[in-house]
Amino acid sequence: MTMDIETVKEKAGSREFNPTDDMPEEYRKAATRMLEFHANSEIMGAYLERPFIRKAPSIERKLAFSAKVQDEIGHGQMLYRAAESLGIKSREEMLDDLATGDGKFLNCFHYPMDSYVETPMIAFFVDGAAMRRQATLKQSSWEPYAHAMDKICFEEGMHVKHGESILRELTNGSQREQEMVQEAFEEWWPRILQFFGPSDDASTHHDFAADVGLKTATNDELRNAFLNQYMDKAEKYGLEIPAEPRIRDNGDGTYEVVEDDLDWDEFFTVSKNEYEGSITQIGGRQQAQEAVQWVRTMMDGQTTTDTSPEPQAAD
Amino acid sequence: MSTTNADLGEPTELSEDEQRAVEAQLFRLADDEFIQAERYTFWQVRAPTLESDLAVSNNAQDELGHARLWYDAIQQLGYSEESLIYESDPSDFQHSTLVELPFEEGDWANAVVRAYLYDVAEDIRLSALEESSYEPIRDRIGRIQGEEEYHLEHARSWLERMALDDDASERVQHALDELYPYALTLFEPVGDVEDDITNLGIRSMSLSEMHTEWADRVESFLTEQGFEVPTDAEPATPIGRDNQHTDHWHSLHEEMTSTYRNLGRNEATLLMDEDDE
Repeated sequence: MTMDIETVKEKAGSREFNPTDDMPEEYRKAATRMLEFHANSEIMGAYLERPFIRKAPSIERKLAFSAKVQDEIGHGQMLYRAAESLGIKSREEMLDDLATGDGKFLNCFHYPMDSYVETPMIAFFVDGAAMRRQATLKQSSWEPYAHAMDKICFEEGMHVKHGESILRELTNGSQREQEMVQEAFEEWWPRILQFFGPSDDASTHHDFAADVGLKTATNDELRNAFLNQYMDKAEKYGLEIPAEPRIRDNGDGTYEVVEDDLDWDEFFTVSKNEYEGSITQIGGRQQAQEAVQWVRTMMDGQTTTDTSPEPQAAD
Repeated sequence: MSTTNADLGEPTELSEDEQRAVEAQLFRLADDEFIQAERYTFWQVRAPTLESDLAVSNNAQDELGHARLWYDAIQQLGYSEESLIYESDPSDFQHSTLVELPFEEGDWANAVVRAYLYDVAEDIRLSALEESSYEPIRDRIGRIQGEEEYHLEHARSWLERMALDDDASERVQHALDELYPYALTLFEPVGDVEDDITNLGIRSMSLSEMHTEWADRVESFLTEQGFEVPTDAEPATPIGRDNQHTDHWHSLHEEMTSTYRNLGRNEATLLMDEDDE
């Protein structure tokens, strides 16, 4: 018998539910939404970073970028699989929605990234912010989600180190390099603060995902955890935190970001995939996906056998 | 076949002629692998499925790793990564023009055919280098061969699969007709140094012996799959080996080195050093 919502809320705890449980549709839909968003973000993050495989200024960096982009595709693969296990949507449907612009993904991956000096803004700060959130998802009530996070968090840790290494190199570089990084930081900083969404006070809708243990930390808790770590790190590398948006240090390990200093119209335009960058990123990827549709059609027409040339990513 | 197989000794012990021959062999190994890898990365986040995306990324990183091994051997002869790649001139490179051609979006058949033609040639070349009289080459072969075997298998299974589909077959045939003349440039000479490479025992097979073996293997497998192999084709020009390249290479080189130049760098990062801190 399908579990009722009240029971789900009572039982909700770390890795409490798995595909053997008959979960109510509302739970399965909420979990699918989270996993799909997360998986889409891995793919679009990889799409944004891919040009820097070519543009990396050394063979070592090129290898690291190629490996990072590959890891993200692997994460997408794992998360789509965990999403499919909820029985709401197939991977193909999710990938099609992402290609056509119906799928949603993280705000930071909607902005163009033109210069190499911007790469640590994603690879260090955004990935660092994502790490804060992902670490809490290891306690998600949907066991396949929490399980995927074990491997993903490990690899993300490597990515943040890679991003930090690039940042360290740039901020120890020439005056020109340092200025370019500071400029990139100022441009990306508000987006990074918005990564966690609006403050809990400002978000009016009742948070079902929290009630059923799908997510275990609030926007404000995550933003505080991030600011506690990364404000110091930014300063350590000589980056100056912009005066706006204003950030008030409460002195007890918590911060308040003055919400009015951030552009929420832009944020909500981004989250509807209607920002200029959204259209460029989604459109570019859609074109690439459609160009190889003939290969997928060919594969669909052939019964899958164990002679498939494609290795599965290890879990 | 070579007549003398005396070990050439340490990098510092090479005579001028020996060094010239060793370099001629190393440059094509390094440049072929490096640019093949560079073009493979085009498919990252663009491959037909997530699984094929992961596979093509693996191959790209393997080839990059091999390129690094070969560039490292070149650096033992007094060069630096900066001078070899980031501060180089496009005409310093000696890779075959096969590996520098751009991919058109969606042309997965081209990627598969190119990988296959290249990997067979690479397999033959590596075998011919197993007993090289130059130790830094000999030492690197085993490690590379393991990974190349997998690449070849990967390309073959894609071709077998595509051969069963009419639309895909047509695309493969088209790519084969286009790429075969470029693949022939893999066996073109750099110059009069070629005889020294075999006479000094650096490589056990001549270019024409390798070409013959390659043409036989390629023809036999592809014909079996129902494809027509353009065996009468002449090598495409320019040939790459003589430092002459297509315009595609010039724009790729420009893009590859853009960050290094824009940042005004004068050294390439070595992560291993940094991680030791």
